[in-house]
Amino acid sequence: MSVQEILADDHDPARASGAQAVVLSTRIRLARNLAGQPFPGWAKAPQRLEITERCITALTELPRFRRGHVLRMAQQTDLDRAVLVERHLVSKELASGQAGAAVISRDQTCSVMINEEDHLRVQVLRPGWHLRGTWNLAEQLDDALAGSLPLAFSESLGYLTACPTNVGTGLRASAMVHLPGLCLSGQVDKVTRALGQDGLAVRGWLGEGTEAAGNIFQISNQQTLGLSEDDILKHLGYWIKHLVEQEWNARRKLALDEGDKFVDRLARSFGVLCHARLLSSAEAMNMLSHLRLACDLGCLPEALRDQVDRLLIEGQPAHVQVRHGSALDSDGRDLRRAAVIRAALQAFPEVGPPTA
Amino acid sequence: MSQPLKCSLCAEVATVHLSQVVGGKVTKVHLCEACAGKGGAVDPAVFQLADALHAPGPPAELTCPQCGFTDVDFRKRGRLGCPACWEIFGGALSPLLVKVQHETAHVGRAPPGVAPLGQLRQRLAAARTAMAAAITAEDYEVAARLRDEIAGLEATLNPA
Repeated sequence: MSVQEILADDHDPARASGAQAVVLSTRIRLARNLAGQPFPGWAKAPQRLEITERCITALTELPRFRRGHVLRMAQQTDLDRAVLVERHLVSKELASGQAGAAVISRDQTCSVMINEEDHLRVQVLRPGWHLRGTWNLAEQLDDALAGSLPLAFSESLGYLTACPTNVGTGLRASAMVHLPGLCLSGQVDKVTRALGQDGLAVRGWLGEGTEAAGNIFQISNQQTLGLSEDDILKHLGYWIKHLVEQEWNARRKLALDEGDKFVDRLARSFGVLCHARLLSSAEAMNMLSHLRLACDLGCLPEALRDQVDRLLIEGQPAHVQVRHGSALDSDGRDLRRAAVIRAALQAFPEVGPPTA
Repeated sequence: MSQPLKCSLCAEVATVHLSQVVGGKVTKVHLCEACAGKGGAVDPAVFQLADALHAPGPPAELTCPQCGFTDVDFRKRGRLGCPACWEIFGGALSPLLVKVQHETAHVGRAPPGVAPLGQLRQRLAAARTAMAAAITAEDYEVAARLRDEIAGLEATLNPA
């Protein structure tokens, strides 16, 4: 099982992303631990290895992970680990350690990180905004897991985790949202502050501790104790609905108020992406964000949005290098990234006035 | 060459340095990128966590018999040693839980075969409030339905 197999799946033309105009993806993460075993940060190396193998054995017997991928971090190259992080299949923390592993379902919807901060981090990731459906899948997986591994649970504190910020439900529900309208109109700080004040965390593209490149943000609940899973999902659902409305209002207002200037801004980004010979990751992401917005508003055919989303992933540093076949320095990556994007945009029509 | 500063939560090299000034007193916290990100760096919880770390604590008083983890270890790392640590340190962690979670009791689901007691208690409290409101509103049909629900929940929570 290798990262190459995961990347190869992308070549399937039927694999459309399914992301929506504002919400790119919905994610549910559950933190779980084995009863009677030291948490990964306190366990000795042999204990961690034993736990990894025990969890892999249990997980690979579950129907969901049949014919899935088992990736032991110690066996992956640095570049392959970075690819997994860029695809949101594992966290930076798991990728930076040696004792962890990831078990990923064939369709890459479900993944379980083993020996990250907790023994098990169950994750279900689906394109678009499907909070209930994603939760249902995570719940099924959680039940199946509890049937094959003894989970640490207390009647009063719920699922016991290494960090007090996860104890209780162990649930982190999140949406990856694209907010170019709120960013361009200078309202994003105000909106993210409001989310923060109501108990939601706002993070960048690659999660904790990362910048919001490409106007993409991850919004998630913070509280895991004293709220049921249903309460947490409803609260996030309420805010995401509100956020989507605000984002569309901002987009429409920009298009209306700025008229040709607005279209010009998107068309200029398109022009740069079509002709640049060197593109940094941040520049590419910010300009691809404009292209995505152009697709949402009908300045480009909406059907092209999936291709833009794919470029957002393919333009990430590790993806550029893995597709190239070897490690590249910063300039080499910028050169290669520009070439990949130029080639992909050849089939795109010109950016026109908005129709949506 | 001077040694790089270590993260206050784990042993990694610290790359994020936070200073907080409260009432003229400066508190400095050094975090690695992962731990800083975990708190969001801009998240006030990081400072709360920093407060907890720097709170003048007595030497180790509590030790987990299962894994040997102590309260001093928690102050250093911000993480517990094993699930049994929650029983040992649970009481001492209550103020921190209130700070970062605002609550101290689980009301979510439980593994299959284990009754989700917190969830049932929450439902019972809600049903009692709703029944009182229904009686006030003289909606006896709803009140009767809620009375049956309450009886069912009480029977589950307090089996004879």
